[in-house]
Amino acid sequence: MTQTTDMRPSVPMDADIIIVGCGPAGMTAAIELAEANCSVIVLDMQPTPGGQIFRNLEDNISQKSSDKQKLLAALGPAYRAGADLIRRFRASSRIDYRPLTTVWEVRPDGTVGWLRGVDAGYLRATTVILAHGAMERPVPFPGWTLPGVMTAGAVQTLLKAGNLKPTGNVVLVGTGPLLLLLATQLHKLGVKPTLIARTDRFSDGLRAMRHLRRNGLLPVIKGLGWLAQLKRAGVRMVSGLSDIAAEGEQKVEAVSFTAKGLRVRQACDLLVVHDGIVPAIDIPNGAGLALQWDQANASWRPRTTPDGLASSTLPPDLQPERCAVRITGDARRIGGAEAAIAHGQLTAQAILAELGKGSGISSKSQQAVDRTLSVRPFLDTAFPPGLSATLPDDNTIVCRCEELTAGALREKIRTGFSNMDALRGETRCGMGPCQGRNCMITAARLIEEAHGACVPTPPVFRGRPPIRPLPLGALAGLNGLDPSATELLTLEDKPEHDVEATSDVPAE
Amino acid sequence: MFSPIAPLTHSITVYLDDQPITASKGESVAACLLRAGVAFNRLTPVSGAPRLPYCMIGQCFDCLVEIDGIGNQQACLTIVRDRMRVRRQNGAAVALEHSAQ
Repeated sequence: MTQTTDMRPSVPMDADIIIVGCGPAGMTAAIELAEANCSVIVLDMQPTPGGQIFRNLEDNISQKSSDKQKLLAALGPAYRAGADLIRRFRASSRIDYRPLTTVWEVRPDGTVGWLRGVDAGYLRATTVILAHGAMERPVPFPGWTLPGVMTAGAVQTLLKAGNLKPTGNVVLVGTGPLLLLLATQLHKLGVKPTLIARTDRFSDGLRAMRHLRRNGLLPVIKGLGWLAQLKRAGVRMVSGLSDIAAEGEQKVEAVSFTAKGLRVRQACDLLVVHDGIVPAIDIPNGAGLALQWDQANASWRPRTTPDGLASSTLPPDLQPERCAVRITGDARRIGGAEAAIAHGQLTAQAILAELGKGSGISSKSQQAVDRTLSVRPFLDTAFPPGLSATLPDDNTIVCRCEELTAGALREKIRTGFSNMDALRGETRCGMGPCQGRNCMITAARLIEEAHGACVPTPPVFRGRPPIRPLPLGALAGLNGLDPSATELLTLEDKPEHDVEATSDVPAE
Repeated sequence: MFSPIAPLTHSITVYLDDQPITASKGESVAACLLRAGVAFNRLTPVSGAPRLPYCMIGQCFDCLVEIDGIGNQQACLTIVRDRMRVRRQNGAAVALEHSAQ
């Protein structure tokens, strides 16, 4: 099935399929494809399979101490539900599982650049599945860089994989199911949150009611159960807050916000923030794959066909004959573990059909995808972005790495830097180690603020490999691919081939 | 800010800025530093502000530390090893000190 253009020599394949990410979507696809006799390589940043949702599940289940049993009980049945999937993944001898491996480049032709420790190289497959998941929505507010401000996902990761629980005054601020789930998990571990302050309002919940579907009732009932538990426990809750700020010099000492017209200040040792989750677009953007704006979730997501096939934005003369990349799970569209499993299976079926194996996408898989996503319109309406709803004031840091404030960016945008890459080049916004993961959306919105939302999709920084730091020694020892085979896509992919306007850069 | 859920098992030793601290086999360097209660794992290169891990899933890059002589390693994605040498990163201040020597 190897297809190459005239310009490039044929490149040997390392596997039929490379899967990036070992959460529910990646594991499901890997199992399905391996069962159909495909060779599968799975690359994952974590030490064990499970993704963030089933993080460290194998280890937590194997420990019999009463503390660990209490932890398992607190994390709940949705966490333990991943055990069978992980067992099946581990049992498959056709899956070449490579943990603790980061991916720093993906190309639309099926090439993947990887790093493990100080070893790095390229792998190639007929098809690449991106199942790298989601991240929490960036929430620039005054003080969000202070030690002691952490995301809800971070605290949950510490529960699952760090054997750590918070102490002292814990305040949770933001919106979304994860915030409430974490609060109940903490309470079950004997950590009673001092305050849960939500940006969503009662009216959001009312508006969401019309999106309720029979299939989406269960998650809603679960959520109401969490709220009831927290109420019974006497946890103080506030909703409809705005204008949050974290206060402190060397660490967070207090949080303040406006609720019902009054300014509230609460001392805290740990400030947990959450504003919903969004697809991680670092790899698709770095691969030059098409993105689209998802208004309902207020986030970018990769543009794909329903069965996950991505499309390249490279100019026609640089496009591979076929785009080898498919995207599944939360990396494609936020839906949670069950939706990721359903779509991972559907993606595998689509790939098998392409390879002339299997009988195509089953109606059962299609129904599972539809069913598991049917609660999303309700959740999107009930928990709209709150902490990030309004753009930060001039003194607030936007780019955590380079410590650039919204005011500094606004000033440059006013003087003409209205193109994302020009703004990046001028200010270094997005040039730090995180490569724009936390500032890109805010920078794009600041440009829109000044120039109006003239495009259907907010502009992005042009992604460039390596999208994660690659030690020089690893780069020097790069293995796995003849460099001449990649020349076409790496050296000639320059702005002059693109529609990108360089005229937006003011003259010196 | 954090305390262990269960007593530490499989303890190993890592060195934080040359001082031995106890780590638990299998945990991330970031979790180890948070349990040790450090005030920061790095000072930013621009303003020297203290930072601690923020996202714990490899997206924010605030948990960067030097590990076994290699700088800018993501502590949340690195698993502790016995006798690993971890150094907090002290931003531009240290880099400037080095270049002045």
